[in-house]
Amino acid sequence: MRIFQNLNVDFMGKRKIFYMFSAVIILVGLASIAFKGIQFGLDFKGGTEVVVRLPHAVKIGELRSIMQQAKMGSIEIKSFGTDTDYIIRTDQKGVGSTISDNIKIALNQSFKQGIEILQENRVEAKIGSEIRRDAVIAIFFALIGILVYVGFRFKFIFAIGAVAALFHDVILTLGLISICTDMIPGLNLEFDQAMVAAFLTLVGYSINDTVVVFDRVRENLKLFKSSAFEPLLNKSINTTMSRTILTGLTTLLTMVALMVFGGEPTRGFAFTMSIGVLTGTYSSVFVAGALTLDWVKNRNTKITF
Amino acid sequence: MKKYLFRITLIAAFLLFAGYLLYPTFMDSYYESELERLSDADSTKYFDENEASIRSARESRLKLGLDLQGGMYVTLEVDIIELLTKLAKNEDENLREILDEVRTESLTSDEAVIDLFGRKFESRGMRMSRYYGDIRDDNGAVMTKLTDETEKAVDRALEIIRNRIDQYGVSEVTITRSGNRRIILELPGVSDEQEVRKLIQETAQLEFKLFADENTTLKAFGNIDKALLGKPIDEPVDTTALAGDTTDAASKSMASADTTESKTDSIAKANMSDDQKLAEWKKENPFLALFTATQYGLFATSDQRERVNNILKRDDVRKAIPDDVSFAWSAKPQLNNEGAEYYEFYTLKRKPELTGEVITNARAQTDQAGLGGAVVTMQMDNDGSRDWARITGANVNKRIAIVLDNAVFSAPNVRQKIIGGNSQIEGMENMEEARLLEIVLKAGALPAPVEIIEERTVGPSLGEDSISKGLNSFLIGFGIVMIFMVLYYQFGGVPADIALIFNVTFILAILAGFHGTLTLPGIAGILLTVGMAVDANVLINERIREEFGAGKTMRAAIDAGYARAFPAIIDSNLTTLLTTIILYQFGSGPIQGFALTLMIGIICSLFTAIVMTRVIFEITLDKAPGIVKFG
Repeated sequence: MRIFQNLNVDFMGKRKIFYMFSAVIILVGLASIAFKGIQFGLDFKGGTEVVVRLPHAVKIGELRSIMQQAKMGSIEIKSFGTDTDYIIRTDQKGVGSTISDNIKIALNQSFKQGIEILQENRVEAKIGSEIRRDAVIAIFFALIGILVYVGFRFKFIFAIGAVAALFHDVILTLGLISICTDMIPGLNLEFDQAMVAAFLTLVGYSINDTVVVFDRVRENLKLFKSSAFEPLLNKSINTTMSRTILTGLTTLLTMVALMVFGGEPTRGFAFTMSIGVLTGTYSSVFVAGALTLDWVKNRNTKITF
Repeated sequence: MKKYLFRITLIAAFLLFAGYLLYPTFMDSYYESELERLSDADSTKYFDENEASIRSARESRLKLGLDLQGGMYVTLEVDIIELLTKLAKNEDENLREILDEVRTESLTSDEAVIDLFGRKFESRGMRMSRYYGDIRDDNGAVMTKLTDETEKAVDRALEIIRNRIDQYGVSEVTITRSGNRRIILELPGVSDEQEVRKLIQETAQLEFKLFADENTTLKAFGNIDKALLGKPIDEPVDTTALAGDTTDAASKSMASADTTESKTDSIAKANMSDDQKLAEWKKENPFLALFTATQYGLFATSDQRERVNNILKRDDVRKAIPDDVSFAWSAKPQLNNEGAEYYEFYTLKRKPELTGEVITNARAQTDQAGLGGAVVTMQMDNDGSRDWARITGANVNKRIAIVLDNAVFSAPNVRQKIIGGNSQIEGMENMEEARLLEIVLKAGALPAPVEIIEERTVGPSLGEDSISKGLNSFLIGFGIVMIFMVLYYQFGGVPADIALIFNVTFILAILAGFHGTLTLPGIAGILLTVGMAVDANVLINERIREEFGAGKTMRAAIDAGYARAFPAIIDSNLTTLLTTIILYQFGSGPIQGFALTLMIGIICSLFTAIVMTRVIFEITLDKAPGIVKFG
């Protein structure tokens, strides 16, 4: 079986179209982030959450009124995958375990049979702010590290193109996550530590993809010294295309398997990674090389290895 | 075949090593299923027979994270402000104001609390020596002392908690320091949060207790034995005989180790050499028979200790214990000559002679007499010194137990009446032991206030759910990728699939070897590695196709394919590795588990995808060139 054999598409010539495409999605995503926002999970906000398994299926509204009767104040209730499992969360402050105890008491009174506590978390706000800070630092260092490594192994302009493509991926994925939040039933896309891991991993995946294309560009630059940069980029992207798609496909398949069969705790992660694989693949074909090309054209420089 | 010898040996060595690392995990699950299968009595017997190997398998098996086996994860922080309040020589309006300001600022600032505190004094031009340290100290000197105190407070909190958890009897607990004032507790299988919180946050109780006199001790044991007579000792199994067996074995080993006659006979008037009388005696003294008696006192292994504790919790037994007696175990086990661990069992007076608040200072030092041992010196305040003189004076040549949270850390013999409150405790084997005692003694005077800042509990049913779903999704994802590779590359996909299987095996083996834990994000990491690890083989195979298509022979195409794909594989994997290292650095708990599996996976995939697959291709080319096809 073969796909994309002897592919010969003028990707670079159409790069304005891809810029437009990316810009539109990014703008829509940013608008969604601005108006709809991103939901932060317990890790970032701090507070108390109890994940319960109820003896029979209920509607969120019922749970909400139970909590209101117990005078629990501002309570956030979400499905934890099924209609018997729910996350009940509040940012109220209470000494020790008073908050989670109150939640449990209220539930026990309403559901005479046994409710089961699946999970119980309490995080102080200061831990949340630390995790947030660490996440920003981690992404920042990852980008710097990649900039330095790619600059060292290739040429600095390649590093610029690669890192710009990574920014593109992160922002695009973030926007898509914001758009998808609360749109797909049973899919919880809160921003927590696992999400941070997903973003760093997608950065890792996307750079992996981009480096493979750049490697071919580097090789071709050595082979065809007289060739212009643009056709050379096209040639490199075309010859690596089947690999790009294949690896993207296998990775995507594993993440879809995780999303469908892996259960609630890893679903958000798997979804984000799936989107990340798509954007990472897209950007290494259509964006990273194109940005490098524009940079080279604007400066009128010539790259040699 | 000769030319592959080195590589095949290398691969075989890696496989053997992986097998060696994973062997305990296999054995552990085998023992688990055996214990599950056998009935209660048989499984206890089976456990006793294979105890050593079961324990060692459990020790080095691949451990499951708290998210998979259920349990509690707690982050504690030593409350420095509380500590500073307690340390202050005097407290006035100014100090309170400063402490309040520091408390508010510390919520938003990354700076260490102690540094914030120091700066407040500087900005007000106040002298810290008004409140802390020696009156002649400048602020710098006081800061050094306070920083040292906060360091020690974390150590103290750690030791106090470790001691309590040890007493509580949770297995496989990890207690680690994190940063400069945090402690992370991981308690697998515990879901009673109330109990754990109590355990952590109660104020430490340091007491000095006298040993109960011999008559009272005999009476206490006699009463308990009488209360137990004719009843099964622990439910639901009749382990009286069993307990006797182990006691017998243990007492034999202790006796041979110490080469001393057992002292049991003086208490029980039984002749040890007569088996029948011994059995008779054991029947009459079911409680005492649980211990191993030596001339130094009563000892028990950790299993026996648990049995004794269960008995002591029973209502009928509690009623039988005389009011003026309390029991306590030694905090740390002692080793006999054969290296087995034994805890000492103490019978003490219930009422403490003195409590720890009177201690003003304690210090571990090397022995001035130059014998190489270590000593701990201890100072008490005026009231305490007066009491101490009375107590020591009345109990010369008797032992006083130093008890923290009902665990005995030391039980020195009183040599003489101690006047003035300066005591020296001798007989520590090394500096480490002395430091521990120093920490313990200070714990009474200056508790280390801790607060729980993070608490995560996973119930057992969610854990089981996660294991089965994690495993399912892994197998499905793994299967899809394997089938896909063979469909797409035909024969060319087979070595890649073999490489994948070995890759996953290596990840698990290395994880077990490094005492890592497998978490749910870890499973996600392995699955992601599977998706990404085939990348190297995809790169190679695509290249081989290209070269073959350009007219090379199969052998030349394979050589060129590996050679040309190599730089891309190295560069792409190193950049990905870079991001996982960063993730490991900044992530916490389960995220680190994810980063770790990804890291190991990337490194392993370099080996399996480049070395292993190539050997398979080359050997097949030699033996059956016809089947090598890349679709």
